[in-house]
Amino acid sequence: MSTIDREATGPEDLQKLHDDLSEVWGNPKGLKALTIVNHTTLGLRFMVTGMAFFLIGGILAMLIRTQIATPDQNFMTPEIYSQVTTMHGTVMMFLFAIPILEGLAIYMIPKMIGARDLVCPRLTALGYWCYLFGGIILSFSMVLEMAPDSGWFMYTPLSSSEYSPGLGSDFWLLGITFVEISALSAGVELVVSILRTRTQGMALHKMPLFAWYILAMALMIVVGFPPLILGSILLELERAVGMPFFDIAGGGDPVLWQHLFWLFGHPEVYIIFLPAAGIVATIIPVFAGRPIVGYGWVVFAITVMGFISFGLWVHHMFTVGIPQLAQAFFSAASMLVAIPTGIQIFAWLATLWLGKPKMKLPMLWIIGFLVIFVCGGLTGVMLALVPFNWQVHDTHFVVAHMHYVLVGGMLFPLMAGIYYWLPLFSGRMPSETIGKWGFWLVFIGFNVTFLIMHWTGLLGMPRRVYTYDTGFGWDIFNLISSIGGFVMSAGFAMVLIDIALHFRYGKPAKTNPWNADTLEWANQLPPSPYNFVSLPPIETRHPLWEHPELPREMQEGRHGLATASHGRRELWGTDPLTGKVREIIHVPSNSWWPLFAAMALAVVCISLLLRWYPVAGVGVVIAIGFLLRWSWENGAHPKAAPDAKVMPGDPPLHSRTMDGPGLWAMTTAMIANGSFFLSYLFGWFYLWTVSPEWRMPDASPLSLVALVVAGIALLGGSALMESSVRRLRKQLDKGLAMRLYGAALLGGLQFVLILWVMWNANLAVTETSHDAILMVGLYYALLHSALGAVISLLQGMRVGYRYVGAHAPFEPVVVAYFWRYNVVVFWILIAALAVLPRVIGG
Amino acid sequence: MKAMVQRLHLTHPGHFVGGLILWSIWFIAIYGGLSVACAVMPPDPGQGAFTHINITLLVGSLITALLLAGLAWGCFQEARQHKGRKHFNAFVSAWLYVFSTLAVAFVAAPMVGLPPCL
Repeated sequence: MSTIDREATGPEDLQKLHDDLSEVWGNPKGLKALTIVNHTTLGLRFMVTGMAFFLIGGILAMLIRTQIATPDQNFMTPEIYSQVTTMHGTVMMFLFAIPILEGLAIYMIPKMIGARDLVCPRLTALGYWCYLFGGIILSFSMVLEMAPDSGWFMYTPLSSSEYSPGLGSDFWLLGITFVEISALSAGVELVVSILRTRTQGMALHKMPLFAWYILAMALMIVVGFPPLILGSILLELERAVGMPFFDIAGGGDPVLWQHLFWLFGHPEVYIIFLPAAGIVATIIPVFAGRPIVGYGWVVFAITVMGFISFGLWVHHMFTVGIPQLAQAFFSAASMLVAIPTGIQIFAWLATLWLGKPKMKLPMLWIIGFLVIFVCGGLTGVMLALVPFNWQVHDTHFVVAHMHYVLVGGMLFPLMAGIYYWLPLFSGRMPSETIGKWGFWLVFIGFNVTFLIMHWTGLLGMPRRVYTYDTGFGWDIFNLISSIGGFVMSAGFAMVLIDIALHFRYGKPAKTNPWNADTLEWANQLPPSPYNFVSLPPIETRHPLWEHPELPREMQEGRHGLATASHGRRELWGTDPLTGKVREIIHVPSNSWWPLFAAMALAVVCISLLLRWYPVAGVGVVIAIGFLLRWSWENGAHPKAAPDAKVMPGDPPLHSRTMDGPGLWAMTTAMIANGSFFLSYLFGWFYLWTVSPEWRMPDASPLSLVALVVAGIALLGGSALMESSVRRLRKQLDKGLAMRLYGAALLGGLQFVLILWVMWNANLAVTETSHDAILMVGLYYALLHSALGAVISLLQGMRVGYRYVGAHAPFEPVVVAYFWRYNVVVFWILIAALAVLPRVIGG
Repeated sequence: MKAMVQRLHLTHPGHFVGGLILWSIWFIAIYGGLSVACAVMPPDPGQGAFTHINITLLVGSLITALLLAGLAWGCFQEARQHKGRKHFNAFVSAWLYVFSTLAVAFVAAPMVGLPPCL
């Protein structure tokens, strides 16, 4: 490895090294700052934007509390109140909680695992712009007084065009889908970065617990978000075109929406909780001054939570009329989740018990978290019991429980994390006095608001009613809750003032100010764009406790990859299990393409909202053009890594191997794609078996022969891709371009055949849900065949430019993987849509 | 192929998710199976819990639990034979298999007392 003994060289050489790294990794100023792809800057942008949305969501909460503070209020009309409650939930869940935690992960993960950036920096930038534009579009609906008003979970039929005829639901469906591109982008790259770019020696069992939590969160995003994306697409198609997926008369079923929403919605609670728990598991050992008790048990608990949380979605639907035995399955699964939660809480308490805790500001928020979250967990177990659930369904009790879990389980740890990492963000320390005032106001205000709300709920007050009569006995409880809400707001104002003031008046932080054990504190305060001058070998879970000199050694360039004169942005590519170095990953630098692509997607989103379909079509073509142009600057392209020179003894560049991070990103993206596809199949079989007015035609409208021929063309294309990869493994690239063009041709043939099947089926997509859902499946296959053909065609062209070949064999491996996915999915689709109906009928 | 065999080894961290993936498949199978069976051939409600649906689901659950318990036992054996990373992987996997086994038993327990389609 390129471990350079910098002691042998002078300070001038060290300065030159810093200058070289700054030249390669530096952020441009002015308008070009929009091109930045660096994880530190983008992580901060995510967090600042998330905070802005938190303020918007907070103001909406205060409006709600003002309206229901006393009975018979006319502060807001019922219509505006419904918009405000819907947008409060939507903003807090989709535009604040998830993005700000993703932002923290984007900022922190490379620093914690000893890397210089995330593995797909341009994807980080695309994610940020999609989040920003989607959030603005969604929020703008409030300015127009057209905000969605069907509740943050948008139940059908209330959200369908019959009962919500305006643009409100469309704002929600399109805006949220746009924002979810951001969440999925972050999910994919966090998974790959954690698995493949840890510094040398950081085996899985030496990884910081925060990275374990983020790995689980990212995988859950990858699997959990696609069901909602599918649901949103189906509902928007129903509203815009009239395809009756959720309309009983057309053979649809409104309960399908609930399934798709909660398949996403319940895991989302854990997607929010897990990174917050990661903050807790990071901070407690630092302030207790000892390693966490039961590292392995915490990993166990994270894994269990990641899975079990997907088996609970029906507990949000206990009142829709599901058989008792099925309810019992979900009730039992809901209780099971208390086990991993309990393990984590006991591990944290044991660490505090066995250590010598120092009650600094971050710890205050952690204690607040422990108290509030345990209470929220207990009411969660109560709600898992079906009879109790029936009693309090849709009352303020559920609202109170949800806030105990989400504010206790996410916001308190987040505040602890912000205070803990503030010296890293700014190089300055916060004020303990103002910070403590802020904490106590929030803690007291929160409990006054939401503890009381449990009783309001038990007295029968339903959620989302805009006012109430004075005779129900809810008056005093609502008034107290509203006062508590304003106290909590004053606390958050105090915290924000503290954070704002500390940038100017905070004491400069010393190196590793909390005496932490993890690598992010080996950075300069605040960090440089390249994080570390050199990347160290790691042999322990607590590198800074066991090697306090490590930060200095790293800054002096004594460890790996201490060079930048080649002009590349480099990270270690390590083995996901052992942390052994396998290759050097070179990541792309600043670019306009992510911003341009996101802008084109924003045009698509707005055009769909306004029903300007031709403009939307043009927007799609432009967005695809930008994305393909972006993908062109990769591998051996002059703007990426035209030569493969590395330091003596260093491993090769990833683009010159057969297993770079792109393959892992493709695999992870296909997990998300597979989750979308499985959700689609679930919808198809659900409507088939459950929908009361489902109408299966006597004969399938799809031509089985044409579909089978299309499948054979797909198999042929995939075989050509596989043979190209096999030959590249043997360093053979003769005829490579022809093979790739051949695959593209076969992909094109599949595309034409699917188009022919769609044309000939004469599907009445606005008449029956059967035909509508068939059409969606065919479009899915059509898009995949087109994508397979286009990327194979581009690969063939890249061979001509010498960007791909025996010297740079990586990209066809990634493309072949996509073809493999296509083959499996297309044949399943044929079986489900065209064969099974012929075999078993309606 | 070699890589595939390595992944099957009980010290591979793939087993962190092995038990819970089996649990998830089992969970989907019992929920989906129950829903389809109740839609296609609902038994007489007077039969109580001991219907062909519950018995089939219970047998499937028992087989799943035995498989998971066997994998847990195997992981414990492996954990004893290794130190460091491999011990960690096998030990955590073993407890995850134990949890999955108990989760199958706990979630399946209502099949003994509740009729399937009411």
